[in-house]
Amino acid sequence: MPADYKSAQPELRRSVTPWGSFSWGYSDVGADIFVGLGLVLAWAAGASNVAFLFAGVVYVCIGLAYTELAATYPVAGGGQYFVMRGLGDIFGFIAGWAVLLDFTIDVTLFAWTSVDYSSQLLPALVNSVHPWLHFGVVLGLVVGLCLLNVVGVRESTTFNGVVSALDVISETCILCFGFLFAFRPQLLIHTMQTHWPSPYELMLGTSLAIISFVGLESISQAAQETQRPASIIPRTSVSLILTILIFALAYSNLALGFQPWHPITDAAGHHLQFWQIFPNNPDNQGKAVALLAAQVPYYGAFAALYVPVLGAILLLISSNSGVFGSSRIAYAMSTSNLLPSIFQRVHRKFRTPMISIVFFSVIAVVELVFAAAPALFPGVSSLYTRFFHGENGLGFLADLYAFGAATSYSFVFLGLIGLRLTDPLSPRKFKIPLNVPMRFRGERVEFPIVAVVGFIGIFSILMFTLFTHPLGRIFGPSWLLLGLLFYLVYRRYRRLPVLGSQPRNWRTAQTEILRRAGELELMDEYVANVKASDARRAGQGT
Amino acid sequence: MLFFRGLLAVAIILCGLVILVRMVAALPEGHFKVIPGIVLGAAMIALGVHRLSLIARVRGMM
Repeated sequence: MPADYKSAQPELRRSVTPWGSFSWGYSDVGADIFVGLGLVLAWAAGASNVAFLFAGVVYVCIGLAYTELAATYPVAGGGQYFVMRGLGDIFGFIAGWAVLLDFTIDVTLFAWTSVDYSSQLLPALVNSVHPWLHFGVVLGLVVGLCLLNVVGVRESTTFNGVVSALDVISETCILCFGFLFAFRPQLLIHTMQTHWPSPYELMLGTSLAIISFVGLESISQAAQETQRPASIIPRTSVSLILTILIFALAYSNLALGFQPWHPITDAAGHHLQFWQIFPNNPDNQGKAVALLAAQVPYYGAFAALYVPVLGAILLLISSNSGVFGSSRIAYAMSTSNLLPSIFQRVHRKFRTPMISIVFFSVIAVVELVFAAAPALFPGVSSLYTRFFHGENGLGFLADLYAFGAATSYSFVFLGLIGLRLTDPLSPRKFKIPLNVPMRFRGERVEFPIVAVVGFIGIFSILMFTLFTHPLGRIFGPSWLLLGLLFYLVYRRYRRLPVLGSQPRNWRTAQTEILRRAGELELMDEYVANVKASDARRAGQGT
Repeated sequence: MLFFRGLLAVAIILCGLVILVRMVAALPEGHFKVIPGIVLGAAMIALGVHRLSLIARVRGMM
């Protein structure tokens, strides 16, 4: 690792404040509920809140794991770095490659739903009415974001902060008015009793619910630019984790026990409950929060006008974080020799990783074509109906998003367990609760029970994804296999250990990481721990 | 600003309490079906308490 850190690379400026750290994460994870709510209501029906609860508990475990890891190792590499350090190079690659799938899907999925939210005010953009126009606008957004990132125009932390603050206020108002004037606990219980889904639908809904909690990579990405990360990250992360969990549970409970302001009827004139507008209606699934906001008594009249705009902006920011994040992860993987050095190359004039940005944007466009194909070409639609249970574009993107997230998070839990065992000397200012003290290779370590619980939870969601998503089952593992093949060829070509790991001096690397983070007290503590451990081992040797 | 943030944290705790009480009241007829609502209320109280503890720490530093 010293080669990665001792090179004379320009350092990222540590200018992210506590609110900046929160809003950075919020603009990424907070947008997910705008996508996830409609999809989960469509499949999990009367058990949507249970699906969100299960995914939410897993998400809390993931959030705590990321918080501990990002505070202990404040580098921008994210999940792939933790896994590489805890389990070795090849597992680091798999985790990073799965995150890259998520980031490219993130670009397309959020641009897609951004257009869906806009269609609430501009009906011409409704996908089922004008599929080519919808496709063209999404494509334009993806290409536009790619160009902006190549030129080097990034969203500012201030802009993120303002949009996040507006969204937190807006969602709080929607939920407060909704729970005060439209929520009926008896209706919630009745809906859950009469519209409980089949086990297959519940598994599908739960696997989709996890997409409402994806984006925790941003916590670790922000770590390298946060002031005093070991202190700030745990504070902001806990707030972020709880805020996102509250919004997801509140929306799902509200939607199931919701008495709409204006009666909703189907084509035959029958009254419908609010959640019943989502099954078999991809147009509605893509803009669930805007539809709910418009039905909230009193506040809905105002919310109907601005929520689609706010949602579209927040989703576009999240889409942009996919373009930016994928190039950054590829850059980090490249510096660790997990990907070729071409991904490190920066544009002479703009000083941005142009090749990375364009490469992953092209993949995002390919995913968009796959997602839009059934709506654009009737022949392809019948093919999807025959082989993939008739999945629509939004479903295709959500499948892959859930697959990538579940895979990378599974490895992050294993990485956390690995690091607790192999690196007990690094000071952990934040440690996830419930640990079992034990001895491992002569060192006193603490085994994290929460990581085991989280791993079982996320692994079961991965199994649900593979079992219930016909497209995700094929394309997700294909992405991993293709990447693994590419990795093996690259490592062999570079004469690097193919299945093993490169020798790295993690002690020097850790000291350097803490020094750069400005965590000098932690650095001193780490050096003292290392010296004490060495002295203890020398004493045992004699 | 700290006072305003403290007020907001107390409001979150109160909202959480209201939801918790309403869900617990529906427990006899809803059984396990109200668990997501109970968790929601508990999470809101936890967030409020977390915010208050941060504010208390900042006040201690001043």
